[in-house]
Amino acid sequence: MINFQRIVRRREFTVLVLILILSAIFSFTTERFLSVSNITNLLLQLSGVAITAIGMTMVIITGGIDVSAGSTLGMACVVSGYLLMGGYSPFLALVLAVLVGLGIGFVNGAIIVWGDVPPIIATLGMMNLIRALMFQTLGGRWISGIPPACRTIGLGKWLGVPIPMWIATFLIIVFSYFLSYRPLGRHIYAVGNNPEAARVSGVNLKSTIIFVYALTGALAGFAGLINAARTGIVQTNSGMGFELDVIAAVVLGGTSALGGRGTIIGSLLGAFLVGIIKNGMVLLNVPALSEGLVIGALIIISVLADIIRARRETR
Amino acid sequence: METTILECREISKSFGGVRALKKVDFSLRQGEVHALVGENGAGKSTLIRIISGALLPDEGEIWYGGQKVEITSPRLAQGMGISAVYQDPLIYPYLSVVENIFLGREIKTPRGNIDWKRQEEKAQELFASLNIAPHFLRQPMGELSVGLQQLVLIAKALAYESQVIIFDEPTAILTEHEAERLFQIIETLREQGVGIIYISHRLEEIFQIADRVTVMRDGEVVGDYPLSAVNREMIVELMAGKHLVEEIEHGGEKSEQPVLVVKNLTKKGKFEDISFEAFQGEILAFSGLVGSGRTDVAQAIFGIISPDSGEIYYRGEKFKVHSPRHAMEQGIAYLPEDRKSQGLFPILSVSYNITVSILRQITNHLGIVNTRKEREIAEKYVKELSIRTPGLEAKVFSLSGGNQQKVVLAKWLGVNPRILILDEPTRGIDVAAKAEVHQMIAQLVERGIVVIIISSELPEVLKLADRVIVMHEGKITGVFEGEDISSTNLVRAATGERVLPGKSD
Repeated sequence: MINFQRIVRRREFTVLVLILILSAIFSFTTERFLSVSNITNLLLQLSGVAITAIGMTMVIITGGIDVSAGSTLGMACVVSGYLLMGGYSPFLALVLAVLVGLGIGFVNGAIIVWGDVPPIIATLGMMNLIRALMFQTLGGRWISGIPPACRTIGLGKWLGVPIPMWIATFLIIVFSYFLSYRPLGRHIYAVGNNPEAARVSGVNLKSTIIFVYALTGALAGFAGLINAARTGIVQTNSGMGFELDVIAAVVLGGTSALGGRGTIIGSLLGAFLVGIIKNGMVLLNVPALSEGLVIGALIIISVLADIIRARRETR
Repeated sequence: METTILECREISKSFGGVRALKKVDFSLRQGEVHALVGENGAGKSTLIRIISGALLPDEGEIWYGGQKVEITSPRLAQGMGISAVYQDPLIYPYLSVVENIFLGREIKTPRGNIDWKRQEEKAQELFASLNIAPHFLRQPMGELSVGLQQLVLIAKALAYESQVIIFDEPTAILTEHEAERLFQIIETLREQGVGIIYISHRLEEIFQIADRVTVMRDGEVVGDYPLSAVNREMIVELMAGKHLVEEIEHGGEKSEQPVLVVKNLTKKGKFEDISFEAFQGEILAFSGLVGSGRTDVAQAIFGIISPDSGEIYYRGEKFKVHSPRHAMEQGIAYLPEDRKSQGLFPILSVSYNITVSILRQITNHLGIVNTRKEREIAEKYVKELSIRTPGLEAKVFSLSGGNQQKVVLAKWLGVNPRILILDEPTRGIDVAAKAEVHQMIAQLVERGIVVIIISSELPEVLKLADRVIVMHEGKITGVFEGEDISSTNLVRAATGERVLPGKSD
């Protein structure tokens, strides 16, 4: 039997209702919201966030954070942009973009685990460092005019849905399964809820933490390739602020900032919520300032709700 | 005769149905060093927490300076002139000594700024009254030795013009030299008319500095004597008391060869020269006071801390343990003393908590966890240990303490251990659950698991153990078997007397 009360009380349900309400409002107040081109655009924009949010969800479940995801995406854009322009196969670009992200994520994890550096500090340093490297590489110029033949992965459609969204969906299913059914995936929750008990229970803390950062890096790298292929342009500020959208999606989607709980599906819904708010406000011609106001307020409310719940439980 | 400064009348306190204090009377005179002794759980700390305002009594009265008072917070107690110096000094390591002394009670200029000059002068005075030359006033507190940190806290107590100072195991962390200095300071304080409550497990110290001693046992005062009227033996007898315990019989048969042999295991500052053997078919208990190093020895065997020297032999072979995971793979399990910090994942489900350690053993060839098997295992242990829970998916924090403990136990039984180390297995759980856990332990021995228990509760040790090793300040001070397992023997060894048969020095 389905327990409706339990479903209603979940964060995912609240977010879904919010999405439906906002969609309804935007489709009545604007003409373009429900148009095919707008929805395609919306899905394209949020697919990168959704893909990276898979890793970020795991990072935040362990009680950490990764603010270097935007720079990582940017660096992957640069690498794949050069390769695509140079006539190399899109497949090679894909592999290298993912590898670059993986490398950055691994270094993040290593600094956190072996250096005992707080995640926010380690990844903040990495964020600046990678951004500076990007600037160095591009030398103040930008890449444009990536040949259309290489851009299928960013622009193509299948059954009317953009390919990046198909990729995001596939990865979300795979990694949701991973979190529920693989020992390593399950251990991520243990590490987040009580690291000391996890260690005593035989969980390898260090490799678990390195894994989640490396995965987040790799996924941000993948999103970088998609981004380069979609827009056809790579600039020094590519991916700037992207990490904030990803973190917002994860936190709104119910992953506890205190660690120990969260789902990837929740983060997908969070990504939709953030995407729809941004998209709708542009269509309504609301100044960009209020967008931050709404998303910021939502983040604070959702974290407060999380903390109030935790307080009630420990009592 | 000096006047009585503090008097507790018929103080009672319960925690969740367990009576921690039963109509306790306690009085302290001016200029008196009054020692408070008793086993772990005798109620000493509950009493001093009530006196220092950290706890409120359920019943009874406190009289202070001739008036009936209610001490509702530590801050209020300090303001009234009651200060406590705890075993681990509570300090702000990055702030200077002067700041540590005056924090929250700063001396201010008329404009409300901190008057650094006067604070420093006042600090000088305070240390002078303790006969200490304070060359360290501007240093960060964390750079001082623990002995000096303690002195700063005493100075802080004097800054509050304390009439009563409580010392909780003050010498446990001090070198011999530092302890001597402390005794001189206590002597000075006594001459100034301060009343001192002195808690220590080192009975020889008490004979050195105290005027009076109150002995507590099971939440009651069992004796209040001038030091001149008692000797060590009497105090030990009073602390140990008569425990009516029904021993639990188990059908385990002791193996010929030991399963675990520990030789000269040493970890600096934790334990020293620990040697013992553990056999199949018997319950080996580690007794002694909290902080005597028993937990550290267990954690060294389980790979949580790595010893400096010494050897461990397991199933006849030399055994070097790298990590808890390695120990587990080799069949050693450890139920930690503090289930909240080391045992449980409170916001995760009962089923998750039980199976977290064995997920890798129930995966198929693709590395996917077999969830049906997982549910079966969780169900099996919930039934076997009669864990009372609304369901396998219930979050563990919603269970009672006893059932939470059973969940942790289930996790360790799940790994099918050869050796099971149980650190304070019944701490903080109710009487019924405790009896169940004891029965379970007996069954485990029958099944052939080598059981090692660490327990601070004498009745528990008397009830369960076939052999007892007593530790005191990191060393083994007693080994008892059969008839020799008596509360008096255990207390003697736990308070530092060496009671090693044929090994005395």
